[in-house]
Amino acid sequence: MNENLVAFKGNKEGIYIHIKDGNFKAIKEQLELKLKETKDFFAGSDRINFVGKNLTINEKEELKIIIEQKYGIAVNDKKSLEIKGRIDPKSSIQDGFFSGIEEGETRFIRSTVRSGQYIEYEGNLIVIGDINPGGQVVAKGNIVVMGSLRGIAHAGSDGNRKAIVAAFNLQPTQLRIAEIIARRPDSENYVNASKWPEVARIEGNAVLIEPYSTKK
Amino acid sequence: MGEVIVITSGKGGVGKTTTTANIGAGLASLGKKVVVVDADIGLRNLDVVLGLENRIVYDIVDVVDKVCRLKQGLIRDKRYEGLYLLPAAQTKDKTAVSPRQMQELCEELKEHFDFIIIDCPAGIEQGFQNAIAGAQKAIVVTTPEISAVRDADRIIGLLESKGLHNPLLIINRIKQEMVARGDMMNIDDMIDILAIDLLGVVPDDEAIVISTNKGEPVVSDDKAFAGQAYRNIANRILGEEVPLMDLEVDEGLVGKLRKLIFGK
Repeated sequence: MNENLVAFKGNKEGIYIHIKDGNFKAIKEQLELKLKETKDFFAGSDRINFVGKNLTINEKEELKIIIEQKYGIAVNDKKSLEIKGRIDPKSSIQDGFFSGIEEGETRFIRSTVRSGQYIEYEGNLIVIGDINPGGQVVAKGNIVVMGSLRGIAHAGSDGNRKAIVAAFNLQPTQLRIAEIIARRPDSENYVNASKWPEVARIEGNAVLIEPYSTKK
Repeated sequence: MGEVIVITSGKGGVGKTTTTANIGAGLASLGKKVVVVDADIGLRNLDVVLGLENRIVYDIVDVVDKVCRLKQGLIRDKRYEGLYLLPAAQTKDKTAVSPRQMQELCEELKEHFDFIIIDCPAGIEQGFQNAIAGAQKAIVVTTPEISAVRDADRIIGLLESKGLHNPLLIINRIKQEMVARGDMMNIDDMIDILAIDLLGVVPDDEAIVISTNKGEPVVSDDKAFAGQAYRNIANRILGEEVPLMDLEVDEGLVGKLRKLIFGK
C-alpha cells in the first residue's frame, strides 16, 4: 500500500490537506490516522483547505464530514471549489500564491467603495464605480476599476508580482502590487489627473504606470 | 404619516445643527408641522440655536424612559407655528438611548408631525447609530474642505450599509470668491467624489453667526444669502423645483448643476 496518500502542508493561507491518487478506503483510513495523531495541532484552527485532485464530489463530501464532525475542524470549501476552476490546478498552490491572473475567479463590485470600506477577494476584483480616498480593495489577482481609483488598491496580495491594477482614472492614495508599495510623488506641481485609462504593473522592483496600449 | 430625516456629516462643526434648525424653521414657515429632535445627548446645541434653552423642562431621555409623556417633552417654538423641539439631555451621554428606543420614538412622532428632522451628533459611534435608527431619509452636510468631504464619504457608506440609500447633499459655507480663485474645492469636485444628489448650497455668511448667537434661525432673514439658500432647500424638500442661487458663478456651472439636481 502506498505510504503517503495523505499529506498536510501549510502556507500563508492556512493548512492544506493534499490527497494523492489511490484507493479511497485507504485514503480515508490514512486521513483518520493522521488526524488522530495531530488532533491537538489542528485544535483551534478553522481554516483548513482541502486539495483532492482526483476525488469525486461524493468522496470529497465524505472526507469533509469526517474532518468536520469527528475532529471539529472547519473545512474551507470555497477554496477547494476555486482550485477546481483553475486551468492549471497544479501550480496554484505550489507556487504559494494565486495564479489565476490570466484567467480565474473574479468578483464584481457594483458600487462606489467609500472611505472606511474594505473589500478583499481571493481572486480578481472588478469595481464598477469609484474607489474613494480612505477606501481599500485587496485582491490576490488583478484589480480593474471602471471609474476613479483614489483610494488604496493592493493587487497580487499574496505575492504574485504579475498582477496588475488598471483604472479609467488612476490616481490612488497608494498602490500596492505583491509586496511593493508605491505612492504618488509629494511634489506640488504633480498633475494627478490622467487623461486616459492607465494600468500599473511591476517592472523590476518598481511600480510602472502606463496607458493601456503602449503602441500608441 | 410624517417623514423622518436625519441631518448628519461625520465631521463636527460643518453646520449640522444650524442646518437642522433652519430646515425645521423653513418647513414650518411653509405651513408644515415639524419637530426637530436633538440627538446629540450630552452636548446639546439645537435648543440654543433656536433660542429655546430656557424653556426646557423634560428632554429626549425623559421621553424614551417614560418619565414624562411625549407631549410634555416637546417645546413649541416661540416664532414659528408648527415648529417643535425635542431637546437632548445634557447630563446624560449617548448610551442613555438605544437605537430601538429611537425607532419607537420616531414612529410615535410620525403620527403627529409632517416632518421629523433629527440633528445627528458628530462621529460614527452610538450617537450616530441612534440618530439614524429611525430615519427614512438622510441629508449629509459637508463643507468645501477635504477632511469634511472625506468624512461625508465615510458617512454615506455607513448610511448605505444601514439601508439609507441615496442620501442628499448640502454643501455648506462655500466662499464663491475663493472657489473662483481656485483656492477652494468647487461644487463639481465634491459631487464627483461623493456621487450623490445635491440638495442645496449654502454660502458662507456672517448673518449665520449673528442669527445663531441671537437664537433666531437665519431662514427668516430676508436679506441674508444663507437665509435664501435655506428657504430654497426647504422648498426642494417639499418637492418644488428651485434653481440653485446665483452665487456669482458663470451661467455654465449653474446650468450644469441644475441639470444635475433636476435633470433626472
